This record gives sequence, C-alpha cells and structure tokens, in this order.
Amino acid sequence: MKRREFLRTTALGIAGTSLVTVFNSHVFAQDSFPDVVWVENGQPKNLLQTAFKEIGGIHRFISKGDIVVVKPNMSWDKSPEYAATTNPELLSELVKMCLNAGAKEVKVFDRTCNNPQRCYKNTQLEEVASAAGANVTQIRKNRFKDKAIPNGEMIKEWPIYEDYLEADKVINLPIAKHHSLSRVTLGMKNLMGVMGGQRGSIHSGFSKKIVDIGSELMPTLTIIDAYRILTRSGPQGGSLDDVKLTKTLIMSPCMVTADCTALNLFDLNLEQVGHLNEAVRRGLNKYDLNNLQIRKLSLS
Amino acid sequence: MAKTRRVFQILFLLFFVVLFINARYPYSGSLPSDIFLRFSPLIPLFDFIQNLRISLLFWPALIILVLTVFLGRIFCGWICPLGTTLDITSCFIKSPPNKKALRFQKLRSLKFIVLFALMALAIFSIHLWGFLDPLSIFNRVLTVVFYPFATLAVETGMLATSEISFLEEPTYWLYDQFKAIIMPENQAFLHQVFWVALFVGGILAMEKLSRRFWCRNICPAGAFLGLLSQFRFYERIVGDACPVCNKCQTECKMNAIPEGDLKKTSKIECIESFNCGINCPPKISAITYRWRWKPYRSKPDYSRRHFVQTAFGSVAALGLISIGLKNRSQKHQTIRPPGAVEEDLFLDRCIRCMECVRMCQSNGACLQPGGIHSSLLELWAPVAVMRTGYCEFNCSLCGEVCPTDAILPLPLEVKQLTPMGLAYFDKDICIPYAQNTDCLVCEEHCPTTPEKAIQFQIKEAVLKDGSTSLVKYPYVTKELCIGCGICENKCPLPGAPGVYVTRENEKRLDPVSLREESA
Repeated sequence: MKRREFLRTTALGIAGTSLVTVFNSHVFAQDSFPDVVWVENGQPKNLLQTAFKEIGGIHRFISKGDIVVVKPNMSWDKSPEYAATTNPELLSELVKMCLNAGAKEVKVFDRTCNNPQRCYKNTQLEEVASAAGANVTQIRKNRFKDKAIPNGEMIKEWPIYEDYLEADKVINLPIAKHHSLSRVTLGMKNLMGVMGGQRGSIHSGFSKKIVDIGSELMPTLTIIDAYRILTRSGPQGGSLDDVKLTKTLIMSPCMVTADCTALNLFDLNLEQVGHLNEAVRRGLNKYDLNNLQIRKLSLS
Repeated sequence: MAKTRRVFQILFLLFFVVLFINARYPYSGSLPSDIFLRFSPLIPLFDFIQNLRISLLFWPALIILVLTVFLGRIFCGWICPLGTTLDITSCFIKSPPNKKALRFQKLRSLKFIVLFALMALAIFSIHLWGFLDPLSIFNRVLTVVFYPFATLAVETGMLATSEISFLEEPTYWLYDQFKAIIMPENQAFLHQVFWVALFVGGILAMEKLSRRFWCRNICPAGAFLGLLSQFRFYERIVGDACPVCNKCQTECKMNAIPEGDLKKTSKIECIESFNCGINCPPKISAITYRWRWKPYRSKPDYSRRHFVQTAFGSVAALGLISIGLKNRSQKHQTIRPPGAVEEDLFLDRCIRCMECVRMCQSNGACLQPGGIHSSLLELWAPVAVMRTGYCEFNCSLCGEVCPTDAILPLPLEVKQLTPMGLAYFDKDICIPYAQNTDCLVCEEHCPTTPEKAIQFQIKEAVLKDGSTSLVKYPYVTKELCIGCGICENKCPLPGAPGVYVTRENEKRLDPVSLREESA
C-alpha cells in the first residue's frame, strides 16, 4: 500500500465514522429529547405545533394505522372563554395532526358532569373535533369494563370506558384549572372523564383513589391546555374575572411530570397538591423531577 | 270525503307528534312546541272564565270554534290526535257494533255534565279541565308513558344487539343515528307513570265498550263543540234508492244516526267522519252531501235532571277538594320549576300537559309529574325531584314551552337568580361531618356565579385514632343558593343525600315583577 493510498483510506475512514456519528445522533437522539416542553406566548395552534417540534415530532407518538383517543375536558356546560373546558382550537389542531400523522381513527369523548348534549355542544368541542375529522361520540353506558388495579391501595377495580382501554395511543388533553378539593385539576384528574361508576365516591380519600385508578390509565402523551386557566371557583367557573389568559401549553410523555410542571402556573408546590404528591411518592413519574430536562420557550 | 278525512287525521297526528319531539334541547328554531295546546277548543272557554278575555293568542282554537259552528265537530273527527289514536286502537281491539253499544247511549249526557261541572268549578277558581283536555292527555301520555317506553325498547334492544360481535358495528351506527336524530334523551324515569298509564289505558280500553266511547260520553271538548255545531252548513241527503240496509247507522263512529230515521243526524254527536257515505253500498250510493243549511235543531242529551246532577256533582267536588288533604309537613317537598307563578295560580294554570317535564328530560331531568303531597290539587303538577335530576343552570326551557304561563318564560339571566328553593346539609350523614374526611362533590358542582353558594371551611378534625387532620366542611350561603339541586343530585351517598333542597326561600314571579326583573 502506498502512503498516499493509506492516507486516502484513512481520511475516508475517518470521514465515514464521523458521518456515522452524525447519523447516530439522529437515530438515537431520543435520549436528548426534553422530558417536558413549556411553550408560551402564542395562539393555541402555534403552541401545539411548536411543542411537538421541540419534543421530537408527533411521529414519536403516533404510528400509521393507530386508533387514537384524545381525551379533552368537555365536562361542563360552559363556552370556551370561561376556561372550564379544553380550548377548541387546540383540540381541532391536535385531531388534524394525529390524522396527518397516519392515525386510522381519532376518538373523542368525555363523561360529562352537566347534561352531555349541552356540554358537547356549548363547549364547541364536538363541532370542531368532528369538523377536523374525529369520531365524537356520546358515552354509552354499556361500554364500561371493569379494570383490575392490582397495585391499588384503596381501589382494586373500577369500570373504565372500553374505547380508552382498547386505544393504541391515548393523548390526554386537560385544561389547567383550580379545584377546591384537589387544588388543581390537570392530567390525572381529567382521566375521571373515562371512569364509570359512582365517581363522587372517589372524592373521599381522593389522593389515594385517583392515583390508584390513574396508575392504570397512563396516557401516551399529556398536553396541558393553559391558554386560558381558571384561577378560582373551579372546576366549573362561570365568571370571566376568574379566568387568566396565560397563553401556555405544556407537553410531556409523562402525565405526572406534565402535571407537576403545570403547578408553576398556579404558584403551587408539590407538597400542596395531595394527589400529585401521592403519585410521585409511588414513583409514577417517568422522569426525575429534581433534575428535569425542561425546554421552555416563548413565541413572540 | 272519508279518505280526505283520514289523510287529515294522519297529518294532524304527525303534526302533534312532531311538536312533541321538537320539545327538547336545544329547542332553537321556528317551531314553538307549545302551540299544540292552542288547538284545544277548551282553552278559549276556560281562559275566558279565568281572565274574562278572549285572547287572540289562541287563534287556532278560535278558528276551530268558528268553523265548528258551520262545519260541526270537525275537530273531533279530523284533527284531535286522541281521537285518531282511539280510531287506531279500535282497529286492533275490535269495538262492538253500535247496536250492542246502545245500552251506553244514555251515558252521552255525561260529557255535558263533565263540561258544565268543570265550568262551575272554574268559576269557583278550581281549574281541573286540563286533566280531561284531549290535547293535554295526548301530550301527557306521550311524555310520561310512550316515550320512556320507546327509549327503553330501543336502547336496551340496541345495546343488547351490540353485544353480538358481528352486529356490533352496524348496531352502533344505527344507535348513533337514532340517538342523534330521534332520541337524544337518556332514559326517563317518571314517578306517576303507572297512574298516567292507567288513566290513558282506561280511555283506550273503553273502545271495547263502543267505538269512540270517550268522545261519545266523556270528552268535555266534544261536548263544547257539539253545543256549538247547530248551524252546520251542509246536509246529508239520503236518496230514494236507499234499501234501508242500516249500514250507515251501524258503521257510524258516534252512533249519531237514530235507528228509526236514517235521514236524520244528530248535529251534536256527529263528528263529520263521513263514514256513512263510504259505507253506503257502492252500487246504490244513496247517500250524498251538499252545501245547504237544513234548519232543524238537535237536542243535546241534557235534561233538567242532568242539570241537577251537575249542580250536586260540582258542589260535592268543590267541597271535597276544599276539605281534602292539607298536609303541611310535606309541603317543602313540592319544589316547582323556576319561573312558576304563585302556588294557587300555578295549580290553576297548569293543565298537566307535561310539556315542561318532556323538555326537562333533555336537560337536567329534574321535573316529574308530582304526586299528592300536601293537597289533592297537586296531582301531576310538575315538581322538581333532585335525586333523579337537577335544574340545569344554563337552561330555562321549561318556562319557554309552558303553554299556559303557569311557568313564566324567564330570560336565562333572570332564571339564574330566581331561587326554586334552598339547600340544607344533613350533617348527620354528610360525609365530611359524619366521617371527618373530604368530599366536596356538592361544592364542585355548585354553579352559581360569581361566588358558589356552597363554600367550605377548613377545620382540624380529631380522628378515631386520636390523630388530627384538616378537613373541608361545606356550608350553604342562603343569599346565593338558587335551589337548583345539583348538589343533592351528585351527592355520592348511596341513599338519602347529605345535602337536600327544600321549597324554603323559593321566589315566585308574576308577569309584572318579571318585567321589572328583566329591566
């Protein structure tokens, strides 16, 4: 081998290896994705698109042919500006993104507190989600299936909506609100909308019971709508004075992490919120909360 | 003519059914459901007795009354949905021929007795006519009996079918269509369903005694229209070809043709069904009709003796009702819908058509046909039962559909400030008080703005094991509570609720104060 050839081969080799490294960083980049994304100062649509870009794209979560359940909060007979229910623009955009990402079907439903027809209509969520291509259905009472909770401390079994259990992917889309009993209602509390049975009985011993059931219902992705938040008289509100325009969106593959991050919106810390504290105590958070990889950005 | 009449009957039946179906959330659009009652011939009469006025609001009824003078009881034969239902019923249960039904002929006078007794009672300000008004009865049975029954059949039927794996998809598709278009309401559970069913079942079962037994003998609307139809402007001519086969007489729905004289018709009993013409053997066709006033008078079956009976009957009814049950201890349970006028007037105006109950089923589903709690007159007037439903904060539709303004149509913002009652905590069983643990489901659902009527205090509780814990204890602020009952409805206790609504602090409005409130 001539020296020249040797040098060329070596150079090519090094170049090739470095290429592999560059390639590598794309293939195995999951480790460098943030644990949670916090985007603020934008319109719901932009907030969502930016957050997905930062967290690694919707393809990280939705695969072709998936049946996706998107669970907004449409529990109250209130129009969107009262911040009692999920922002319709956000839901609409999310449904579209899921379908564009190849989802076979996007299902939207909620077991409401007020009359279901009124809630579906007046929150505007049924209309926008259907227009975006989602399958919006009323809860059918025969479709709750008892879900065993082997690790439950107070609850060992609870009826859960079948569509939720059977979905390939679940995106939890709560709105951030004040709540007298649990201090705040975020991702974990939003899952009450897929629970059957006598939900009121969850209220006594709330922290333990909600974490018992929630631990079996962990969604693929949690997106907290904090475009408008309700700061008091929650979870129902009804007065515009209690609504704060925060123009924020929080996204994380870990529901507990997303919820804990969202406490900053209300100037609360973990010790003040019983059910989240309980969830962390049981280690339901995927990421280390003391060393959180949080990507925070502000759109102009 | 008989064919045209049948077409009209079906069309009007559908019209009333469509009005009924339309009475549900979201109830926006151009078809006001409460117009059904404006077709009732009795409403101008009793409105006149009550308010000494002839209101143009009831124009369909007024048109019917004017037409009746010249055309006879067309309402009974062509329009009345209860009459059509009875005709359909008699197809199935085979009414006996008129000859056999002759023994009931003397009961015809009963309808006049009923009408005059109802008028007499109305003059003494006890309004019971709504119980017997045919349109009210029709709406009542659809609301309380038929629709819940249909929901049960459809829902359980379809949900059961959906359990069969290969039928799941098509069944759910059908179910969704059905839920979206025909039957969005949840299953209704109504208290008086048995008694209403018995009442209406009785009316239908009487077809077994004779055709249109109700219309011949009992219906006060029929009696009123019969008395008006003296100047009927057409006549039935029986030609010389008549073989006296008596078919026109035996096939008459009302037995209005006297047996001996086929050329005569009782204008009071005839409901213009034109059955006589169609039943005349086709080769003979002896019966024809023509426009001409034939001046003869049909006498109503109402003698001096009947008048005495009426007088005794109405005095007895008046007395019995007045001395009947007055149970103060249950009075707080009869919570009326928001916008109900003052109680006595409310019971006078309410005709138990159940339109508000029907409307409420697609909302909070709190309204029920009431039983007898504190007075006999309360029967079937709507009461709010919070353990089965609650008053939906953003809904004021019951007042909007009330055809007699027993419930005033309150603007939403007025309704949201008009208390139906007041909530109380039963601290012996309410979870935080009785068990020293958090609950607050009632507080979560309390809808009043800007402050919730249910607030809570955080107090330290000493638990059984001696440790202490901070517990949230709810309480009611009287000034804010509107008695909507969602707290009572959602209370997670399995039996009696830890928080319940009573009639205390209810606010009844009259049209004058309503105008001031709105302003």
